[in-house]
Amino acid sequence: MSFLKLMPLIKISHKWLSLLVGLQLLIWIGTGLYFNVMDSVKASGNQYRVKVTEPAADLTHLVEPKQILQDFDAAVSLSTITLLSKPYYLLTQDKALYPYFKNQYTLVNASTGKQAFVDKSMASELATASYNGPGNIVKVVKQDPPFDDRLKEKNTLWRVDFDDEINTRVYLDASSGRLAAHTNDDRRIVDFVFMLHFMDYAQERSFNNVQIIVFAIFTLFFALTGLIWTIELGFNGQYQFLSLFGSKAKSKQIKIFDKHDKLIDTLAMSSQENLLDSLLNHDIALPSTCAGGGTCGRCKIKISSDSRTTSADKAHLSQDELASGYRLACQHRSDELTSLTLFDVTQASNHLLKLISSEFISPYIKELRFKTIDGQPVSFKAGAYMRFFIPAAKGIAVPVNLPPELMHHWQDVIDNEYDHLACSRNYSLANGDGQSNELVFTIKIQMAPDSVVKPGIGSSYICNLAVGETIEAVGPFEDFFAKVEPTSAPMVFIGAGSGMAPLKALIEEQLIKLTTSRPIHFYFGARSQSDLIYADLFESLSDTYSNFNYIPVLSRPTDDWLGISGYVQDQLSLDFELLLGTHSIEELEFYLCGPAAMMNSSIELIKSKGATDEKIAFDDFS
Amino acid sequence: MNLLKISRKTHKWLMLFLGVQFVIWTVSGAYMVIFDIDYIHGDSLVENHQTKINPDKINYSLNALTQAYPSAERVSLGMFIEREVYRFEQDGKQQLVDADTGKLLSPLDKSSAVAMAKHEYTGRGQIILAELITKDSDNRPFELSKRYLPAWRINFDDMGSPSLYISAQTGKLVTKRHEFWRTFDLMFSLHVMDYEDEDPSNWLLFWFVLFALTASILGLILTYYRIFKAEPLSTDNNQKVEAN
Repeated sequence: MSFLKLMPLIKISHKWLSLLVGLQLLIWIGTGLYFNVMDSVKASGNQYRVKVTEPAADLTHLVEPKQILQDFDAAVSLSTITLLSKPYYLLTQDKALYPYFKNQYTLVNASTGKQAFVDKSMASELATASYNGPGNIVKVVKQDPPFDDRLKEKNTLWRVDFDDEINTRVYLDASSGRLAAHTNDDRRIVDFVFMLHFMDYAQERSFNNVQIIVFAIFTLFFALTGLIWTIELGFNGQYQFLSLFGSKAKSKQIKIFDKHDKLIDTLAMSSQENLLDSLLNHDIALPSTCAGGGTCGRCKIKISSDSRTTSADKAHLSQDELASGYRLACQHRSDELTSLTLFDVTQASNHLLKLISSEFISPYIKELRFKTIDGQPVSFKAGAYMRFFIPAAKGIAVPVNLPPELMHHWQDVIDNEYDHLACSRNYSLANGDGQSNELVFTIKIQMAPDSVVKPGIGSSYICNLAVGETIEAVGPFEDFFAKVEPTSAPMVFIGAGSGMAPLKALIEEQLIKLTTSRPIHFYFGARSQSDLIYADLFESLSDTYSNFNYIPVLSRPTDDWLGISGYVQDQLSLDFELLLGTHSIEELEFYLCGPAAMMNSSIELIKSKGATDEKIAFDDFS
Repeated sequence: MNLLKISRKTHKWLMLFLGVQFVIWTVSGAYMVIFDIDYIHGDSLVENHQTKINPDKINYSLNALTQAYPSAERVSLGMFIEREVYRFEQDGKQQLVDADTGKLLSPLDKSSAVAMAKHEYTGRGQIILAELITKDSDNRPFELSKRYLPAWRINFDDMGSPSLYISAQTGKLVTKRHEFWRTFDLMFSLHVMDYEDEDPSNWLLFWFVLFALTASILGLILTYYRIFKAEPLSTDNNQKVEAN
């Protein structure tokens, strides 16, 4: 259905329109509620208004209308009216469509034929006659438009103020004596609410203004996109009426596999909530920023290729992925499947971590050590990473407590302050020896490439944490780890920069924790000696373990460097025959982590020598 | 994260029931604000004539009128097309009398009503219908108030199918309608969810508005999370270093 292709656009439109019109919508609904519940008598402003019934004029004692029309300016109409029991002729010289538009009147005493005027005392008497409240007149003034509580009125009016508890005001047309309106505090509140509902900030008492038209059109699209979304949710089975009444009702055993098709658990999952929520109930947190809206596309799992696809699945997954059975967890329920395969997560959970040490191990890389605040160890496979939640804060470009000997490396960096929003960043664990409860990270402080771009906000924040401070993190996510196979074939580790972290963990795991006898070669690229982090550690490991071979390669060494110069991938190429030894290329395992350029050319090289994809594991670094 | 989940779930469910009404509110609201209210009220359909009374044409005096109609009240002098006329109330009934000759003109015949409608009408459409609507008529349109009866309904063949209503007793234009106004009335009914009295104070509206308010607040929470608290999206979930 081609319509489904529009769904991502509809959802994105709905999201951004909500930002644009959301608050106004709240005002409309709030003021709408006010109109619904308000007391209509109070709202009219006529709480103390009474109908004025004047006695009919005795027509037999009046001056003939013909005389009046001859004596005064030409009129469109002449009417007999009674004001305060006296007969008058009202001549209308200019007649507008509505009384509050500009009209031109002349009032004539019908008994004498002389022009009459509505003076202050007459206005007061007329107002009093229409008023039955407890107040007395406190002020009578003749006023020209505009009136702050008679926005549409265009005629000169008498304004008669009463001192009752609601500050009643009576308005009378100054030239005709016509009672124009009663108004009071209640009415003024209503007027204010109308002003909000109509977005009538120019106070024209009109709902045909530009701003409301623009907002109305955007809101119309907002409602339509929402309705289409709702209908789409309905077609996708997202409205399960039973789920409204508890979620324990019906659950099903689902087999959970990891990405290597290893059965890791069998979990009871309710058919009345989506898989993302079900997994979360079992402390399995899939990555998700939209909490199941189908808009972030991150909660990828694999079910079966013949399961149905929703528009969100289609929007975020490729044809190949869909055909292989990949789906978004938030779009499906346990009643559709019997097993599922997880990718991005195994048993991740939230941890509050406390920093116990923070040391520079190169001019730009720090080693950070954390412990969980509750002292509980976090178990993880070497190579795993944690996701840190960086709060919104003020960042600084140059790290605090910079050791004096490193100052010269930072002298060209402009020391500016900047604000940043909350975000999350992933960092690999650098320890894998299984001998302490600490979580160790090596993090490179990312500098800004120029003065416009901010420095790396996550790395700056975390490297500037003081010892003893805490930070929230979720994990560990086990994505990059060593294969466990009964083989004696060599393992080749290739890294550079802070790509050190997961490789160090894997090497420590192999040597110290598993005491493997497999040959392990570690190629590590850096610019100069000062960037060669953990050199002492690896030198001592290679002294202790005869199967471990540490090969540092420097691209810009100083003159006193006795080791290998150049790029790691070039050295790897030179050493290749040596690495193979008695093994065939298919048996070797390669683990890479570092800058993209280094990884790409290394992988190209390894493949050209005949290695297959499944023997190459790499931790995407950038 | 929990607030986000509750908000999403509740918003989703509330909108299942409210979604259509939201569309109705926005469609009717947009209609009402986009069309100029003065146009809607048909102000442009009619000429606001300012023909002045010629005193020389008034040869039938008030005195003569009160003798002929002793119970006359609320007498006024004005124009009917190009003719000076008295209008007054006699025993609760409006009357129209020629101010020159004293001839009783009410109730208006069809040709006078048509002439009056043509005189007032600003459009170019032709008259396609002229019918008298009385208290006993079963064809009284909803848009014509009872207090104006009896009245002539004059329909024009023009954009929006305009109708002018001419009082058969006073000869005055009492009201006018075209389709845009009729639609406006419908839209207002839909907007306030009162399909009979167009009264915003009704319980149906109350409950809908209350739930709509809840749904909107939850929606704003979603907006906050999705736009202001969202992590920067990246296709690569395994990003290990800053790429800022």
